[in-house]
Amino acid sequence: MATNTALARERRFIQILAVVLAALVMAPFLWLLQMSFKTNAQVFQFPPPLIFTPTLENYEALWTSGFRQSFVNSLVVAGAATIAPMLLGVPAAYALSRWQARIAGTFSLWILVSRMAPPIAFTIPYFLAYRHLELLDTRTGLVIIYMTFNLSLVIWMMRPFFDQLPRALEEAAWIDGATTAQGFFRIILPLSAPGLAATAILCFLFAWNDFFFALILTRTEAMTAPVAVVNFMNYEGWEWGRIAAGGTMVMLPVLLFSLLVRKYLVHGLTGGAVKG
Amino acid sequence: MARGGATRARDRFYALCVAPSLAVLAVITLAPAIYLLVTSFTPLDLTRPETAWNFARPFENYRQMPADSRLMNSLWVQAKLSFWTVTLQLLIGFGFALLLNMRSRFLEALRTVFLIPMVLPPIVVAIIWKVLYTPDISPLHWGTTLLGFTVPALITHPDWALTAIIIADTWQWFPFTMLMTLAALQMMPQEMVDAAKVDGASAWQMTWHVTLPFLKGVLLVAGLFRLIDSIKAFPLIFILTEGGPGSVTEVTNYYSFLQAFNFSFLGYSSAITVVMLAATVLMSWAIIRLVGWGQHGD
Amino acid sequence: MSEPRTGRRHLLLGASALGLGALAAPPVLGQARPFAGQTLNGAAFQSTFFEYLRAFFPEFEERTGAKLNFNTQAFPVYNQRTDLELSTRGSALDVINVTFIYSGRWIGAGWLTNLSEFVNDRNRTDPAWDAADFVSGAQSAMQDARGNTYGFAWEAGAMLMAASRADLIDQAGKAMPTTFDELIAACDAVQGKENMSAFVADQLHHWNWIPYLMGHGGKVFRDPPGNLTPELATPQAIRAAGWYAELLSKYGPSGVLSFSDDQAMRTQIAGRANFRTQAITWLVPLAKHADSTVKNTVRYALMPAGPQGNFPGSNSHGLGIPVGSRRKELAWEFIKWALSKEMLNRIVETRGYPSVCRRSVITGEAFKQAMTLNGQDVASLYLQVLELGGRSGYMKYRTVPVFPQVGDTINRGIARIATRQQDAQASMRQAQQDAIQVLQRAGVTLDAN
Repeated sequence: MATNTALARERRFIQILAVVLAALVMAPFLWLLQMSFKTNAQVFQFPPPLIFTPTLENYEALWTSGFRQSFVNSLVVAGAATIAPMLLGVPAAYALSRWQARIAGTFSLWILVSRMAPPIAFTIPYFLAYRHLELLDTRTGLVIIYMTFNLSLVIWMMRPFFDQLPRALEEAAWIDGATTAQGFFRIILPLSAPGLAATAILCFLFAWNDFFFALILTRTEAMTAPVAVVNFMNYEGWEWGRIAAGGTMVMLPVLLFSLLVRKYLVHGLTGGAVKG
Repeated sequence: MARGGATRARDRFYALCVAPSLAVLAVITLAPAIYLLVTSFTPLDLTRPETAWNFARPFENYRQMPADSRLMNSLWVQAKLSFWTVTLQLLIGFGFALLLNMRSRFLEALRTVFLIPMVLPPIVVAIIWKVLYTPDISPLHWGTTLLGFTVPALITHPDWALTAIIIADTWQWFPFTMLMTLAALQMMPQEMVDAAKVDGASAWQMTWHVTLPFLKGVLLVAGLFRLIDSIKAFPLIFILTEGGPGSVTEVTNYYSFLQAFNFSFLGYSSAITVVMLAATVLMSWAIIRLVGWGQHGD
Repeated sequence: MSEPRTGRRHLLLGASALGLGALAAPPVLGQARPFAGQTLNGAAFQSTFFEYLRAFFPEFEERTGAKLNFNTQAFPVYNQRTDLELSTRGSALDVINVTFIYSGRWIGAGWLTNLSEFVNDRNRTDPAWDAADFVSGAQSAMQDARGNTYGFAWEAGAMLMAASRADLIDQAGKAMPTTFDELIAACDAVQGKENMSAFVADQLHHWNWIPYLMGHGGKVFRDPPGNLTPELATPQAIRAAGWYAELLSKYGPSGVLSFSDDQAMRTQIAGRANFRTQAITWLVPLAKHADSTVKNTVRYALMPAGPQGNFPGSNSHGLGIPVGSRRKELAWEFIKWALSKEMLNRIVETRGYPSVCRRSVITGEAFKQAMTLNGQDVASLYLQVLELGGRSGYMKYRTVPVFPQVGDTINRGIARIATRQQDAQASMRQAQQDAIQVLQRAGVTLDAN
């Protein structure tokens, strides 16, 4: 009995501690969020007003400026940089999972390095080549460079998913006279829908979050939202409210999506090294 | 005979599935890597067209590197940054994982909150901390002044600038090690825990003698991933300090960026980058050896 | 759809053939809207000039039918991004600011369009636009050795000193400082008064510090532009660096070392810092900006002089066209429009923009009136500085192609001293060594010692 109350007390203590820590971890993030609803004068006001009338003027100002175009660019580029690697990478992952030929081991280092390489390693050659290919400041150019990490991501996210599906599934279909392709499209793909969704969302996140490639490879037409935020960060006298609003808008899609795939986050971030 | 034909058809389908991906990967990753290596043997400077494809002194860039005091300093800064961020992220991530590893619906819901820093776009993280480190508008500075301390502006203080970046980076990435640890903890066999309890182990002994040895592999892999990532640190430094004050926070990646894209010394920057890339390959290889990746039959 | 257009073009040709040329052309052009549907991409660093000009953009869009997409960024960000874009000879930008310190680099590398061809072509440029009206001192940075012009100046920066709260200086029984020593004494007298820092500067030490370097008898290069051997570790340079770093660390606000030019201005406007020495563009808003809290207390003066003389910085920034632009004709229309006598006069009259480069505007009554700030005749101070800079050519160090790289080593050198990582001697020796390395990498021949 006594140990039970002690245990319950310990439990409560841990829960309270966890709440406090969560609040601490969240605080910097929440601070930016509340700043985005303040006027410039309120931002400088200390002690900070606990209750203030939130203003949407920061968001309105953003939405009527060039930022909107950047936001659209980000959506289009991240979308394309999701679809293309999925189309290419999913069949490859399936084949690598099923194929007896020991091709997979040979390429693992290559693929992991593509995921982990410092961005500048790709940026220099792409920058030099794009000058001649007229791909600087184009969305196409960005999509291509985002493929360097997203294609590897798809292959290494999806392969373990396929590994988990028993071979008996396709073999049964083959015996019924289905071709390999039919087995893949009709049996395997529908079964791996959750994995496909998670992988696609992670691709979107990585493309969306990129800053470095877009900083070097875009100027005006194809500028993405993260670069745009930094641009007006240095513009019109440090309007912190607007910077905060821009930051909030950039993180919004990311937050929504990642909550959807939180189960697969670790898996995706390590390229499949650990099953989450 | 019929069976062999089916196998061959299957192999053909697999090859058809793999080939496009490998071809694309070769074009978009291998070719640029070779281009980078080739560029590193030239003194390419975009203001001087005659420097392109000039292989008169192919190793000149590499020869200059040891004598470049800013580069050497950047390696040291990089070492400090990597050491502290990886260490702190492992410690904090591990600690939080132990705390949250309890069968409780409430804590499981709370876990999601801890994930937020990790999924934020790095540039937003940088903005958040720029706000917190700017004395005029920072609740941090206001709070400490209330308590009677005057905290200097961290990002312009030589003793604090790197620490400021380490704090921000740790905030963003400890959830990663936490998540990996939690995932592994949930696979820890209950018998191990029970056996230890029967032996009358205290919570501390349990952590030290049972949990930690079990997690060793996961922590090592998590650490390696963070180590590789720490070499890429860019947005935080770009937004918070620009490598300053002086060169206190100028890591190799940032220095290479300056050389290439501020001064257009692309040849020299390529040489630095080749070295960084080599380090990445080595560490990735270590990960693969540790995890036993790419081998069938798991 | 295309027919009426052809018709108008004929009309236009007819009009110029009739010799109505000059005056009639703009309205006719206006009807034709020859650039309808095009977008002009422009970029510059943030400055009050473009803030003012932006208000008139709809007029240009209305007249030409083109859409203006003009972005401004902080000075270092702008320079980095534009330098990168120019190096690709790309077409992302059509009109850019030709930054003073990059002018030598950009013109030398052939990254800018030769505007002389546009000016000398009567079909493109009405002689009444009067290119010769631009002050020659400001234009010299925009030209190559053969006299071709690559930009037209919109700003002639002249470094002055402004105190946002001169009343506090008076109360302390001090006058506006005229020497380095007096500046220190004045800072001492007002430091901390009403919670204000005595001095503020932005982080571009390679601009702000040089007048103090020269005042102490130092220089950046041995004999620019011919001999670019750096002189950053001479006793004079070390003394000047230590002196300036002390000024920043002792009298600057917390975090001053990361201040952008705009941030430093905001600090003064908000009454949180007193003295600043900077180009006039950043100082006039103290008297004019809507948010300024120091309109009635601001006072202007010449830069203080050092033991070896007075070397206030002067520079100029122009509008130019990247060589890769695909809309050069439209870009040239924009430059002509933005820097026409009419437009500059309007900006001076309505906003009091201080750094105009057209002689006809500077000598006009409107300018003098606009530059009477808080009862003080600042126009004459401005002209004095421009003359000082033009006379001895001490600004030549700034337009050499490699200055951006050397400037970076200077910035870091000063920051190291101000943050007490190194003493002045060690830090400047390292700056010298870094500068030598970077110059060699750029293929510059240096003296042996």
